[in-house]
Amino acid sequence: MSNQTESPMMDSKHISYRQRRQLKRLVHYGLLSMAMVVILFPILWTFTTSIRPTQDVQTRDVTLLPTQFTLDHYEALLLNTEFVTWLVNSIVVAAGVCALTVVFATLGGYGLARLDLKFKQTFARGVLLGYMFPSILLGIPMYIMWRDLQLLNSRLGLVLAETALALPFSLWLMWNFFQSVPYSLEESAQMAGATRFRAFVDVALPMARPGMIAVVVFAFATSWNEYTLAQILMTDQSNYVITIGLDTLINDQLIPWGEMMAATFITLLPAFLLVYFLQKYLIRGFQVSG
Amino acid sequence: MASNLPTQRAAIQQRLSDVREFFDELLSNRKVMITFTVMPVLILFLLINIFPIVWAITASFFQVPPYGGTWEWIGIDQYIDLFALEAFRQSVWRSVVFASGSLLIQVTFGLGLALLVTQDFKFKRLIRAIAFLPYLVPMAVFGFIAIWMTNTRFGIINRILIDLGIVDSGIAFFSTEALVMPAIIIVSSWKFSIFVTIMAVARLQSIPDSHYEAAEMCGAGAWRKFRDVTLPNLRGVLFIVVLLRFVWMFNKFDIIWVLSHGGPNDVALTAPLFAYETAFQQLNIGGASAVATMLFGLLVVTAFLYFRVLEPSKGVRVE
Repeated sequence: MSNQTESPMMDSKHISYRQRRQLKRLVHYGLLSMAMVVILFPILWTFTTSIRPTQDVQTRDVTLLPTQFTLDHYEALLLNTEFVTWLVNSIVVAAGVCALTVVFATLGGYGLARLDLKFKQTFARGVLLGYMFPSILLGIPMYIMWRDLQLLNSRLGLVLAETALALPFSLWLMWNFFQSVPYSLEESAQMAGATRFRAFVDVALPMARPGMIAVVVFAFATSWNEYTLAQILMTDQSNYVITIGLDTLINDQLIPWGEMMAATFITLLPAFLLVYFLQKYLIRGFQVSG
Repeated sequence: MASNLPTQRAAIQQRLSDVREFFDELLSNRKVMITFTVMPVLILFLLINIFPIVWAITASFFQVPPYGGTWEWIGIDQYIDLFALEAFRQSVWRSVVFASGSLLIQVTFGLGLALLVTQDFKFKRLIRAIAFLPYLVPMAVFGFIAIWMTNTRFGIINRILIDLGIVDSGIAFFSTEALVMPAIIIVSSWKFSIFVTIMAVARLQSIPDSHYEAAEMCGAGAWRKFRDVTLPNLRGVLFIVVLLRFVWMFNKFDIIWVLSHGGPNDVALTAPLFAYETAFQQLNIGGASAVATMLFGLLVVTAFLYFRVLEPSKGVRVE
């Protein structure tokens, strides 16, 4: 700024390189802040609602920042509703879906990438069709089938159902991932005397770890988000997961918005921790799939 | 006796390593390897994906009693009935409107956000975590947040609109015929734009810096760099994103159901909701299966044409 006189370009329509860069940065930060507001405002609003006393929540003269602070809604939610049960169900189901998906996708991905199979092309297309399945289309037959198999209202049943949503994408991911790991590494292990199986366990598997973490993130997201199948397959309230459990809070005559938002906020926490710590893997997973 | 122990232990160890070697050899056999890698996923896939689909397609040709019993073959009657049904045709149209509308917002906002967060700036990791967060927020849960924020009496959105003097009293976005569809499109875009963002960020990150440097050496400005380096690299990803997001939005059930149950006078009743009501409220399993099968067919044909006409796979591997 101090040496403006040195720049002959300054006077009329030209601006200096440095100023242009500052302007660019200003625009960048401006747009980024706007995007952050759009994303964060609903979440912050959820949080502030959850810590306001009821008379402060249900008022026409609502203020942006809470005037009083209370944990009553959290207490009521944990003590007077089945929220804890739903939370546990959500976590157990998500863990199950992650485990099932990562094991099957890793084994299958390895096999498809490394073994010479006749039906590979058909299989690839079949998996692609998995993208076209509406949940609702899966839900109707699953409801009937699970009913006959006594899997309705069971967490195992829901794990299986949600794995159907997570598996196609995850299999593609691992399949691609193993292709990006050079086979020569396994070959040299075999040359050094390892069996093919040993080479898989000791060489290929450790190298595939980032892909496996990406699968876990994706499977978790799928299960944690899932609503449609859970709504169809879990008909008994004590078997609900959070997403459908929230429905029952809202069905009352008077909607307890403080508790609703407390429940919602608790649901958001694991998601935030996951993206904060595992964003590298999230991106990595999507990179391979593209 | 005691002096025999070491030799015994050695013998046992030898035996153990023999066993291990035997299993290693066995597991390395091609057929065995197929059996324990590809077969499990194939079986699971058949059980939870293919079998339900085949079941639904079969059921669409039968009259299926809701509480069990024998199926009665009725051929393509259900399809004929559906085609004749105005409500069904409208629901498919609404799905197209919903999917296209939200796709437009998602690609614009999602891509814009991706370009913003790939540059260097302070607190990048935290800002990115926030930017990606909506992708992991359950859609149904966000639906409740949206309902709360637009509450006609206590909602913050309505409060702001009133304070700014834009409206006189709170608007019931999700129960006003003219507003419900745009409102649902905007709410669902909040979350699903982020899918576009993550896909785009992943691709953007893998563009080597040297490409930009080369462009700069040739005298390219910011716009030329975007047009000639960034955009061609994003092409393949954009094709895939557009296809997947269209299919997924077309099939979307949860957010529409949570926000409006299809809206006043069914103005937001898209095809998946139509299928749901047919199955679980009218208890017409066969009819619902016919709806689902048609949607499935429609999407498969769309995807097929898409891949045929645009050949996105050509664009995927740019380098």
